[in-house]
Amino acid sequence: MKFNISIILIMALIIASSCSNQLDLYPRSAVSSDAELTEEDASSFLIGVYQSVQNDPGRESYILADLLGGDMNSASSTNGGGTNAFISNIMRPEHSYVNSSWKGYYEALYQVNTLLTSLLTLPNNSEMNKNRGVSHYFRAFIYTSLVTKFGGVPILKENSLERMPRNTVEEVYAFIEEDLQIAIDLAPEFSGDLGGDFNSVSSDAAKALLARVKLLQGKKMEAATLAEELIAAPYFQLDSFEKIFRREGNSEIIFAFVNLTMESNINLSTLFYTYAHPQSGSYVFKPNPWAMQMFSPEDVRGPISVDTYEGLDVVNKYPSGQTGTDQLNVSRLAELYLISAEGQGLAGLPRLNELRAARGLEPVSAGNEDQFLDLLLEERRRELFGEGFRWMDLVRTDKAIDQIGIQDRETLMPIPETELLLNKNLVQNPGY
Amino acid sequence: MKFTYLGQGGLRLSFAPPNYLLVMKWTLILSLAFCFQVTAKVHSQDLTLKINGQQLTEVFAAIEDQTDISFVYSDEMIRQAKPVHINLSKVSLEEALPMVFAQQPFTYQLVDQYVVIKAKPSAEREEIAISGTVKSQNGELLPGATVRLKGGSKGTVTDIDGKFTLSMLPDDAVLVVSYIGYDSQEIALGSKSEVVIILNPSDNSLSEIVVIGYGQQERKQVSSAIADFKPTEENFRQVQGPDQLIQGRMAGVYVGAGGGTPGSDIRVSIRGIGSLSGQNEPLYVVDGIPLVNHNAALFDLGEGMNPLAELNPNDIESIEVLKDAASAAIYGSRATNGVVIITTKSGKEGKSSFNIQSNIGVQYLPNVNKLKMADSDLYLEVLNEARFNYNEQNGYQPGDGNFVNYQENPYPGYPETDWLDIVTRNALVSNVNMSFSSGTKKTKLYLSGGYLNQQGVMESNEYKKYNTKVNITHQATSWLEVGTNTNLSFSRNNRIPNGNYGSAIMLRSMGQRPFDRPFKPNGEYYVGGTEELLYHNNVQILNEQNTKLDNYRMLGNVHADIRFSPSFHLKNTFGMDAIYTEDYLYYTDKHPYGAGQGRLLDERRMMTNGLIENTLYFDHTFGKLTINALAGHSFQKVTTSVNSIDGRGFPSPSFDVLSVASEIASASSGFGQNSLESYYSRANLSYADKYMLSLSIRADGSSKFSPEKRYGSFPSISAGWNISDEPFWSLSRTDLKFRASYGATGNQDGIGSYAYQALMSGGANYDGNSGLSISTFGNPELTWETAKQFDIGVDLGMFAGKLHLTADYFIKNTENLLYNMPIHATSGFSSVTSNIGSMQNRGLELMIAYQHRFGELEWQSDFNISFIDNELTSLLGDEPLLIGANRTLQVGEEVGSFYMYKMLGIFQSDEEVPQLLFDQGVRAGDVHYEDVNNDGIINVDDRQIIGTSNPDYYGGWSNTFKYKNFDLSAFLTYSQGSEIYATWRITTDRLGIGAQGFREEVALDRWTGPGTSNEVPRAYHGSGYNLNNSSRFLEDASFVRLRTLSLGYTLPKAFLSKLQMSHLRFFVQGENLYLFSKYSGVDPEVSKNYDARFMGDDNMNLPQPRTIRVGLNATF
Repeated sequence: MKFNISIILIMALIIASSCSNQLDLYPRSAVSSDAELTEEDASSFLIGVYQSVQNDPGRESYILADLLGGDMNSASSTNGGGTNAFISNIMRPEHSYVNSSWKGYYEALYQVNTLLTSLLTLPNNSEMNKNRGVSHYFRAFIYTSLVTKFGGVPILKENSLERMPRNTVEEVYAFIEEDLQIAIDLAPEFSGDLGGDFNSVSSDAAKALLARVKLLQGKKMEAATLAEELIAAPYFQLDSFEKIFRREGNSEIIFAFVNLTMESNINLSTLFYTYAHPQSGSYVFKPNPWAMQMFSPEDVRGPISVDTYEGLDVVNKYPSGQTGTDQLNVSRLAELYLISAEGQGLAGLPRLNELRAARGLEPVSAGNEDQFLDLLLEERRRELFGEGFRWMDLVRTDKAIDQIGIQDRETLMPIPETELLLNKNLVQNPGY
Repeated sequence: MKFTYLGQGGLRLSFAPPNYLLVMKWTLILSLAFCFQVTAKVHSQDLTLKINGQQLTEVFAAIEDQTDISFVYSDEMIRQAKPVHINLSKVSLEEALPMVFAQQPFTYQLVDQYVVIKAKPSAEREEIAISGTVKSQNGELLPGATVRLKGGSKGTVTDIDGKFTLSMLPDDAVLVVSYIGYDSQEIALGSKSEVVIILNPSDNSLSEIVVIGYGQQERKQVSSAIADFKPTEENFRQVQGPDQLIQGRMAGVYVGAGGGTPGSDIRVSIRGIGSLSGQNEPLYVVDGIPLVNHNAALFDLGEGMNPLAELNPNDIESIEVLKDAASAAIYGSRATNGVVIITTKSGKEGKSSFNIQSNIGVQYLPNVNKLKMADSDLYLEVLNEARFNYNEQNGYQPGDGNFVNYQENPYPGYPETDWLDIVTRNALVSNVNMSFSSGTKKTKLYLSGGYLNQQGVMESNEYKKYNTKVNITHQATSWLEVGTNTNLSFSRNNRIPNGNYGSAIMLRSMGQRPFDRPFKPNGEYYVGGTEELLYHNNVQILNEQNTKLDNYRMLGNVHADIRFSPSFHLKNTFGMDAIYTEDYLYYTDKHPYGAGQGRLLDERRMMTNGLIENTLYFDHTFGKLTINALAGHSFQKVTTSVNSIDGRGFPSPSFDVLSVASEIASASSGFGQNSLESYYSRANLSYADKYMLSLSIRADGSSKFSPEKRYGSFPSISAGWNISDEPFWSLSRTDLKFRASYGATGNQDGIGSYAYQALMSGGANYDGNSGLSISTFGNPELTWETAKQFDIGVDLGMFAGKLHLTADYFIKNTENLLYNMPIHATSGFSSVTSNIGSMQNRGLELMIAYQHRFGELEWQSDFNISFIDNELTSLLGDEPLLIGANRTLQVGEEVGSFYMYKMLGIFQSDEEVPQLLFDQGVRAGDVHYEDVNNDGIINVDDRQIIGTSNPDYYGGWSNTFKYKNFDLSAFLTYSQGSEIYATWRITTDRLGIGAQGFREEVALDRWTGPGTSNEVPRAYHGSGYNLNNSSRFLEDASFVRLRTLSLGYTLPKAFLSKLQMSHLRFFVQGENLYLFSKYSGVDPEVSKNYDARFMGDDNMNLPQPRTIRVGLNATF
């Protein structure tokens, strides 16, 4: 009798433990992405786009133009020696900075295009239009970052698994301008819609980026016109470096990634400070001696831009230390002053001197266009040090080979080697 | 007729031998009984007997009075009769007789009207009693040995002192004595009443019992490729985990060394590289529970930690490795990389013993002389030479921006620092284990407790482990057995940064400038990454961090085994492997990573692996055909829950909990689960012990695949033939068996739990708002990786078991390889989990065991060797994949191939340098890389496959010598033909490229002019050209290592019996005593990565230490 009961019990146990329905398991931090985005999803997805564009390219991509521009060096170098060796080392198709920048921008692009494609089927209300505007801005931002580093790159208007060939530089710029025009039309207004929140993308930010893009293409007057529009905007004013680079409220920033520690892995600070410095970093890069000397004592930018601690020179613009993160500026009014000045040529000298005055410097004067351009580029060098401009500025004005002493090929970064292997339709930049 | 009296006459024939008479007499009675048997009939008269203490003959008389029955007996026999007490009324004769004879030493037979009195069947002859002792060759008493009468059912087991008694044996009795691990022995008793039986250790491995999946099998019956290892006192290595025990012991089983930090990961690969993803770890099954491969640590401090180190090797009874598909297929989808079955100890019937094992030793880092760094004078000479070469080649003058200044010794006359010496130590290791084992027919019990304290050779590195174990089985009723087997462990690992980690101690102890020092004159640290110190200060790193990895583990099961009939039984098991991990890492404000304010990382994980399993067994013999079959169902679910907090800002180093932190920099929690449902079945058929056939199948359904691709079936077949059992086999002292098998196994390791699903994840937050993003593509087509394996093997025993040889040849084809395949970045992702290709492994494995006695000297030698080839046979698109810095996956090549520039030598003159390279600054004295495509420039297209991290062959060789009470064993492991990439040399061989220190040997051998060197380039500042990934740093990793050498002395029994002990052995054991290798580094077995694709890359993970220890093993 006991025996029979136990058999029944055991059979019951076996049946109870037959659990094929338990093979359908789903993660708790994600949902299936097969479903179409709703309007509500689209707004959450836009937040994700901000995060992706901020993080995916990796921290070095924000300062590559500084690393390649001759003003920075490996922290282990002595007295600025071997700067060119340092640059050539980065400019290798197998170098991780090259690789992670390329990959990162395209990863971010995937999220942007996912949203843009979904938005095609969503209604044309003002909320969705703002999402469209911001998405187009980010696509333009991504392509601006790519084209200035790699030259002509594959244009993806929507996501594709195809192995795309490279487009020309002109095609990429045309695509960027198209996107930015949509962004200017649809993105929220800086003061009205956003209430002056410079951590969100506005149509003013799109305009600022378009001004940069025009200048990059040598469309100087168009660049100056756009820049002037922003300079004229009452809600933007040149402000103090202290506020701009120490996460304080200011009237100068047009758009900056907020880059909160919890949400970001873009920790620039640790690359610049020594372990012995109070900000404690791993001291990967340092300013070259000539970069230390470019700030005169009365230049208010000097102490905020660079510092010397226990005999070691450090970049001081990203001060949160080893474990924190700093705001990442994309566009601020000073750049627009410089764009306007450069776009106008000699006629832009007053704009240049306005900026100089704001930074505590005496006005300068120039005898001819070349002199003026040199003065202007020096000012850009001081103003935008450590913000990802220097190498691009020298390349677009054809001064890179002379001034930095780089090789011909090093006016463009190489296409990453792994990408060439995975996509036979890509062609390497000349000289690599 | 009253009773017939037969007895007297026979005894009077005194001239005949007594035995002869006896035989005659009984022959008569029995033939009488036989003749009458056919006419036996029922006697229905009623009997009434009231007899109290009277003689049997009086009972006979009473019965004869009441019936027509007569009794037939001999006087001699009736004298043994016992007085009778009986009280019966109105019973039949048939009922009465059994009661009458119940207490008598003889029986009866009813033949028509006669009752014939005769001896009981087992006592047909004169009975004798015997007592004896069973011992092993070296005098060890063997409790629990089985002693049984040959051809009879009588038997017993020996007691704790190895003693037994048996009575009432026939005088020509032959006893069969058997004991696991020893040869059975037959003893003819003759006239002896006391015997000492000495058993020889089993040299016939065919008779041993082998654990197979879901059961056991006699070695002779095994038709698949299974290797086994049973730890003994002599071969036991004092290691942390069971996986290390089998290193070098089995053909086809490669066990890497693991690093020198206690508890660190090791690589175990069975029959080569099984998969591309994951670590190719075999499936470990401990006491029936399949374990989940994972990293025992949560923070990456440069190396993984081995979860098997949490188990206690002293508790291990045996380790079996299922190598071919036929043996492993019963574990289906997880068996592609082989299955390691670990069986822990259990109590033995009749044996009650208490055992203490204890040892203590010291560890240190060997061969450090290979890492001698250049002293200050040499360092400065070479450094300044490098700077001079740079300035001169580029025409830089002092004052130029690019001019590099020369270096002087900042502390002339001060002593230099040996950076490695100041952080290494002679480390203490100690280990105590106690176990208690006992058993009765119904209940068997094994209890143990262990403690291990192992200091690392680096300061502050320490591993402590506490283990307990309970194993009980109980026969509750005739049909039900219940039991539990529970292993509990707690381990605490004070880790050090290692491997590639930024503050890795070993690497940070190299490459400092020789004149730099750890402390400033005021006692503060010099901080690395500054002008004063190049790399992290290793003293500071160790002093200012506190790491603690705690693992609590419960691995165990309860089971019930229900026997329905002699042939059928059902085993239900509930198993659980629950691991709670706390990983704690605290950096004080003085630590380089302490962010100047103190930082605490606290990460915790709860991982449960639950198993419900029901298996129905059928074992039956039909004549010569034996069937062992089973069918079962199992469900396994793995759940992982993690949380992690990163806090910063502590008022002082003495506050180290997160409630004190001024800022929580990040906090997160996660949850994941996956499950597997399986049906499995197997039939082992054996005919006359000569022909074996085994069929098995397992169907697995995994939550990792989409419902359409979820289930996979993995069948196998194997056959064996004991040819030496055939009548035509004429070599009597030779055993020979042929085996062949074919089957399929699967793999789903190394891919994410939700890999098939395209996912939109939360957590893509920006500016405090919650965001969504696409986190994976998903691949609904994803399916099982399947390996089909053919194996053919032979087992040969020669010279009556003195020599054993096992050889296997296998071909294993793996298809649908799972891989995170890199894809072009414009797709938006860098990789997608796919089934990308196929691979083949071929191999030959050979094991030879030989034993011989030279008088009192006994020699046992075990040698194994494995030759395994790997080849990728297809890849999606058949295009090579570049992986890591210097590897590739290419069709037709091995996984683990090195892909890099080939160094041809050193340019001896500028004229040799191609123009394009010359323009890039390459000059005489720089490395001459092979320009494969002859385009005059060295770029990625010039890389080629050079070497592999897979050895041509590897194995182990152990030799044990026993002489009287001494035993000496030496164990060698070896590997030949693999290459190792010495990544660490990129740090130590820089020769002035930066300011790093460099090895003395390299500095002295550098190129300084034509003809000075063709191996080491010139010193040159700034350029990494000479440091390109190339064959310059690729070295031969072949080695022979004296793995262990141990000497033991067992105290004589006579002496021990006075101490009430049954066994006491003292030993001294050395580990890693000598290494024969051409490798320039310390240890060619250490790798920074145990992934099959990246093995053989030495970036100064801590090398294996050398250990000397003394210990004892006592049994009461």
